[in-house]
Amino acid sequence: MNAINDDADQVNLKLLKAAIRFNARILGLTAGTLAAVVIYLATQASIVKWGGDSGGYLDLLAIFFPGYSVSPIGAWVGAFWAFVYCGTGSWLSYRVYGKVLGTRISALLLSPVSDANPVLKPSTLRLHGVSLGVAIGSIASLGLFASTAWLVVRGTADESVHAALFSNYIPGYSVSIIGGLWGAVELFGLVFLSCLLLASIYNKLVEIRHKTS
Amino acid sequence: MSRPIRNHEILSAVFAKMDATAMAVAMGSLCSLLLFLATAVLLMQASPENYPVGQHLSDLTDYLPGYSVDWTGAFVGACYGFLLGGLAGFFAAVYWNLTHYFALGVMLISSAQLAD
Repeated sequence: MNAINDDADQVNLKLLKAAIRFNARILGLTAGTLAAVVIYLATQASIVKWGGDSGGYLDLLAIFFPGYSVSPIGAWVGAFWAFVYCGTGSWLSYRVYGKVLGTRISALLLSPVSDANPVLKPSTLRLHGVSLGVAIGSIASLGLFASTAWLVVRGTADESVHAALFSNYIPGYSVSIIGGLWGAVELFGLVFLSCLLLASIYNKLVEIRHKTS
Repeated sequence: MSRPIRNHEILSAVFAKMDATAMAVAMGSLCSLLLFLATAVLLMQASPENYPVGQHLSDLTDYLPGYSVDWTGAFVGACYGFLLGGLAGFFAAVYWNLTHYFALGVMLISSAQLAD
């Protein structure tokens, strides 16, 4: 953090790092819970709709979620793994986000910087697209590479026809180590652009909605 | 930056609340665009005549009635993307804010107990 900030010595770094750790945990908890709910509901919906024939694509999750199946118990197992994967990924993303923002955190996330009590009268959050893109992009790329490498390591790369479909959207991707690396680079670019778009729409709306307040 | 950052500015950045409506619209727009592009990319790729395009993506119709891998379906998918992305963004923002309030409440109670 010090390397990217000339004014690091003017900032209470201990407080800043504690603040980033705190928000990283909150984001991990938030995203992990939402992912767990989505997997649980998707599994239950699949069971309700197709009964004994349920499964299909959802069953493929068992490759990454040990013990998962499209069954009532499997729904809880899937929720657990979704919480672990998504919570950890989001926690890591915020750590990277905080690292990239560094001591510019208040200048970039609060515009204008308020003198009001931050607890009693909280400001409205802004997003920093570049930092967000770097953070989420790097974790998403790492996720894609790790998933691909796992398919290669367990010896099912040739049978992974569904994973290979990524090449429709990520030209050059294949279920191999080199393909995974190339896919990770391209996915980083796609996620980075998506984050820039997300942040610009969000910030613009915040600006419009809070102009008069 | 010419002046030191005050502690309360760091705290403001941490406890800043997310605008749920803005996040819903932003996430909805992004998901809408992504689902539209996911369909459009398949439709624009060259494929043999009578070859079924997007066999796997079209299975989304199980969850999104009316969706299909054709140009009409791309627009239907964009609407679903906006709706589902918007819901996800809204709930994520509300949950984020609630978790902060909860954590803050716990910290305030803890500090009050320490003061006693």
